[in-house]
Formats: sequence, C-alpha cells, structure tokens
Amino acid sequence: MTYFILQILPYISVSVLIIGLLYRMGRWASGRIVHNITLTPAPTTQAGALLDIAAEVVFFKSLYKADKSLWSGGWIMHVALFSILGGHIMGIGLLGLQFYYIGLTSEHTSEYLSNLLGTSFGVVVLLALLYLLYRRMAINEVKQLSAPSDYLHLLMLIAIVTVGNIMRFVPEWGIHYEPVRDYVANLLTFTPITPDMEVMHKPLFVLHLLLVQILMIYLPFSKLLHIPGMFAHRWIINRPYVEPAPGMPGVAVGGTGHAVSGGQSASGGVQ
Amino acid sequence: MPLTETGLKQPVKASAADMLKININPVPDDQKVEAAIKHLNELGQKFRSLMLTFESCVKCGACAENCHTYLGTRDPYNIPANRADLLRKVYKRYFTPEGRFFPRLIGAKDLELEDLEKMFSYFYQCNECRRCALVCPFGLDTCEVTMAGRQLLHWLGMVPKLHAAVGAAMAKTGNHTGLTKAGIVDTCEFLEEEIMDETGVEIKIPVDQPADILYIPSSADFLLNPNTMTGAAKFFHYLGVKWTISSEITEAGNFGLLFDQRATLRANCMRVIDEALKLGVKKIVWGECGHGWRAGKMYLPGMLDRPGRIPIVHIHDEVRYYIEKGALKLHKEVNSRPVTLHDPCNFGRACNMCDTLRVVMNACVTNFVEMTPNRERNFCCGGGSAILFDDPEMYDLRIKFSAKKAEQVRETGVGKNGDGILCAPCSICKAQLYPMVEEHELGVEVKGLIDLVGLALYPPLNK
Repeated sequence: MTYFILQILPYISVSVLIIGLLYRMGRWASGRIVHNITLTPAPTTQAGALLDIAAEVVFFKSLYKADKSLWSGGWIMHVALFSILGGHIMGIGLLGLQFYYIGLTSEHTSEYLSNLLGTSFGVVVLLALLYLLYRRMAINEVKQLSAPSDYLHLLMLIAIVTVGNIMRFVPEWGIHYEPVRDYVANLLTFTPITPDMEVMHKPLFVLHLLLVQILMIYLPFSKLLHIPGMFAHRWIINRPYVEPAPGMPGVAVGGTGHAVSGGQSASGGVQ
Repeated sequence: MPLTETGLKQPVKASAADMLKININPVPDDQKVEAAIKHLNELGQKFRSLMLTFESCVKCGACAENCHTYLGTRDPYNIPANRADLLRKVYKRYFTPEGRFFPRLIGAKDLELEDLEKMFSYFYQCNECRRCALVCPFGLDTCEVTMAGRQLLHWLGMVPKLHAAVGAAMAKTGNHTGLTKAGIVDTCEFLEEEIMDETGVEIKIPVDQPADILYIPSSADFLLNPNTMTGAAKFFHYLGVKWTISSEITEAGNFGLLFDQRATLRANCMRVIDEALKLGVKKIVWGECGHGWRAGKMYLPGMLDRPGRIPIVHIHDEVRYYIEKGALKLHKEVNSRPVTLHDPCNFGRACNMCDTLRVVMNACVTNFVEMTPNRERNFCCGGGSAILFDDPEMYDLRIKFSAKKAEQVRETGVGKNGDGILCAPCSICKAQLYPMVEEHELGVEVKGLIDLVGLALYPPLNK
C-alpha cells in the first residue's frame, strides 16, 4: 500500500490533474464570449484591465468591498495556503536554505526561518479553514447554499493541514527536507524508490501525501475549478471599456456621440 | 403530472395563442423536460460566461446580502447563487462528470417538470441588475444564468403574458404599447400644445420626417412619462437640429434582451437600423431606457446581420457633450427642489454612464443629494428586466423588491418636506417607482433626467 501511494499514485494523480484541467478549460474555451458583458465602470486600456484582474486575484478586491468578514477568512486562508505551497517548493527544493542563497541570512538562520514560517502559516491556514467551516454552518444563507461536497472540501483541506501540522509539532512523526527531496528526485527521474528510503517509514508523511493526491484527483471535477475559473471569467467581465467596443462587427455605438461619429456632428452642420 | 410544489409565485403565463404571436409553438408538458435538457446543453456550450458560472461558483454566499430581492423577501431562492442553482444543478447532473457520477454529493439533480415551474417563478423574480456580479469574488454573473433560464423557458413556451404581449406588440407596431402611427402623431400634437402652454415656445415633434437625427424614444414616454418626450424635443429644438421620430420604431426598449436573446433581440436591433437607413439619418440618438440602451450599446453590434454604418449614441451623452461644450444655457434655478438620483443598473453596471448622469444632473438642478450606495453599487428599483407584473401576488413582490430602494431614498432626506424629486432616468425604473414611492410613502416625485434638462432649457412661464 505504502509503495502504491508513494510510487504509482503520484503519476496517476498528476496525470488526472493535468488532463482534467485541460479538459475543463478546453470546454470553456470552446464556448464563445457572445456578448459584450463588461462590468462597468471599467478601465479604458488593456493594461488597466489586467491590473484590475490582478487586484482581484491578489487582494480579492470585490469581495473586500462586499463582505469584510468573509474576505478576512477567505483571503487569509488563500494567502496562507499559497505561502505553504511556495514553502513546500522552497523547503524540498532548496532544503530551507532559500534565505541563505539570496544572501539574507546564514544557513542556520535560513533553515530556522523556513521552519518558523512553515509552522506559523500552517497554524494560520488551519484557523482560517476552521472559520470558513464555522461560517458555512453558522450563517443561514451559506448553509442553505451548501451541498455535502462544500463541507467535504473544507474537511479535506483541514485534514491535510492538520496532518502537516502534527508533523511539524511532533518531530519524531515528522520528516526532514532531505529524504523528501531524494524521494521527489526519484519520482521526477523515474527512478524506482527503495524500501530503505525514510519516506517509506513515516506513516504521517504517507497519509499527508495520500490526502493531497486525492485532492489533486478530484480538483478538476469540483468547485475547486474556481482557481482557473476566476481568471477565465474575469477575462470576460473585466475588459477594457473602449468606445466603440473592439472586436465587434458593424456599427459604432458608444458614449459621447461625437467621439463615435469621428468628431463629426450629426446635427447637419448646425453645431 | 401534477405539481407538488405549492406557494410558488408566478406571473400569469402567456397562452399558446399569445406564444404563437411571438413565433413559438409551446412544447407539450410531457416533452418539456427532454427539450429543456437539450436546450440547456446548447446554451451551456455556446456561452462561455454561462458555463463558467455553472462550474466555478464556490457557494460563498457573498451575493446574498447584496441582492435586493433577497433583502426584500428573505426567500432563500432569491439568493443569487441559489437562483442560479436552479439551472446549475440540472446542468451539472447532465453535462459534468461529477454530476453524472455523484449527483447527491455535489448537489446536482435530475430535471423534473416542477423544476421548470420553479425556474419560471424565480427567474422572473430576478431583476438582472448584476449587483451580484459586482460583489462576486470571481465576477460570476447570475444575470447570465437568469437570461439563459428565461431563454430556455421561452423556447419551451413559458413566457409571462406581459413579456409575450410586449414582444407581439413590438413586432406589429414597433413599440411596446401598440401605438399606431395615427396615435403617435396625435400624441405628439398634444405634447406640442402642452409645451406651448408650458413655455410659450413653439416646439415640434416631427414624425417620419426627413432628418439628420433619428430619436428613439421609449414608447412609455408618450403616455406615462410625457415630460421625458417633451424634454428631448426641447433639447433638439434648442440645438436647432433636424430630427425626427419614426412611427416604425418608437421604442428604445428591447425585450429580446429580457426573454429571448436570439430572434426577438435581433429583430428589434435590425428594426432600428433598417428604419435609420430608410430615413437616411446621420445619427441615431437613443432615449431614456436602461435595458434598451444596454441592448443597443452592448448587444446590438454583435447582433446585426450586416454592417451598421450609422453611429448610435445615447441622449444623456449628447446632452453631456453640449453641456461641456458650453452650448446649452441651462436655468438650473428652475429645478430648486431637492433631487436625488437613482442610477439605473444598466447604466451603472453595464454601460459606464454614471459620470454622464452626474454632469447632466449638476448642470440642471441646484439641490442634488447623492444616495448611498450610488453609482455602480446602487441597488435596483425592483422593476429591472420588466418584471412589472400587476397581479396582486407579484405586485406585492415588487413592493418588497423596492424596499431597499425606499430605504436609500429615505436616507437622503429629499422627501422629508414632500417636495423631493427622485430622478430615475429609465422607463422601467419609472414604471416601477411611480407606484412604489406611493407604497413606501417617500414624499418624492419620480422624474426622468431629460425632464429636468427640458425644464432648465425652457423654464415654465409661471415660474
């Protein structure tokens, strides 16, 4: 079983994730942007529109204006989760020496910082997830909207994070960066793993990895599609607002009439 | 199959005969479900925005407290995400892998006849105001789902009597109220006399005359909002331009946007262009109508069957242009009563017109008070997408939908002496607000923006 989870499942889960996402995004792409449904007021340049989308993606701007408590829970959860993902790459890829490599700290301090950040964000993301779960159960409107899967997504993330946190807080159940790096290197180079590798003997690590892989497998078939979905839909609705609208056939329609009619007044030479 | 769902509030449905007038042969009940699934697939595949809205919603509930229909009724199906779920659950069940294999888990369900009845109820309780799109973290647009839902119901033959009748009248006469040319000419002569009495100036409202500008009024401006029609006449007269209205298209609105975005929307768009060509005008100026301008500005360019070469602009933008050019002498002291402005949703969130409305407003009145929230964050009047149904149950809903608006107007304090003005530059807003300011006892009179422009251009004699 451990062998299956560590050696075979990763290739399956990564393939399902990638192919699944391509399938869903391909379906989206085959639909058309039929009408101009730009949400106004909108910027007048492409750069401005991209900046708007960036502000939405990075700061959840619309949500901040609409619902501060949901924004707090949601934004903190996403930022912490994103930092943790980054932390995994740094920790496993650079063994926690990233701050040393960019010349900020000594080797020792870098690893210490890496551990500190990982542990803190682990706690933060857990608290934020618990708040979101509480919110889903406590606020009547959200409760009415929720399907069983909406709770399961949160519980799944809570489970993954909890296992990760236990590995942080109970050193003997945790695992160091090096053995994981060797394991990942083996996966990437298609080198078979051997029974004496440390990863094979860390049940919590195996569990953590298993849960993550299950998440990766169902991600393209769940509401977690909001990750690419956000970019795709913002692309439709946060467009530069130019008069007349670009890329549309036919007639010039727009704001100040004289701009539309090429500076010509239509009033028959009176104005 | 008998309907088990009770207590559904529905507008009166168009009969089979009514539907034939808008070229739809209603699908018999026993074939509706099958037909609906087929059409839903077509809609989902065509509209990327629709598919994304179906597949990316995380059910965070941010839309709930931002929807005036939910705030007014507290009916769970009026939460935008839940309203969209009526269609989303069915779409997921049939057209996504997760819904095919785990429907219960993700909240997908088979389509049944009574779901269609539920959709008919709740998609016609949505004002298509897009405030939910504004607050959604992903910008998912429930309006797109409502539009798709209404399209689907239209193809099945389920359209409110009001919308079907308007669609038929539009196809027959070129306006929503069924006015014939004789009626239009008559009304215009009457309005000319009114202007004469009011201002002492002779101002004509030309019908079907050779001209440079074709003005597309809302047909409600002949009956319900005559001051908007005379306001526009005064504006064109002041500029001294050659303008006309056409008896073939005296309708700024386009109900195609609201229940049928294919044939009806296209036919109405083409009607404008055809008439402009026939009259040989140089420019089309659109009248005061929110959804109509959204259709004309955002949808029309993509709907035309051939290139349209005559520019189309909105009268508010025209007025703004001449104000900024200093070409208008506006006696703003005439409009000294306190005024607040209701930003029509379609102008604010779909057509980028908030600044224009304020430039015109500030040039025409002396006591302008903003309501909160305003501009693109404004709440809908509760009549949006023409759900102006008169049967008692639906009328009661309209009062509830406008509760948030009433609260906003009250907070401005413009009506505290009973002489306030609520400026609502949109025909549907006006039709909704005329009775609603009475129901909520707001102490304000509902007026259009062009009404105020007209008053400021040619002050009434008795002032």
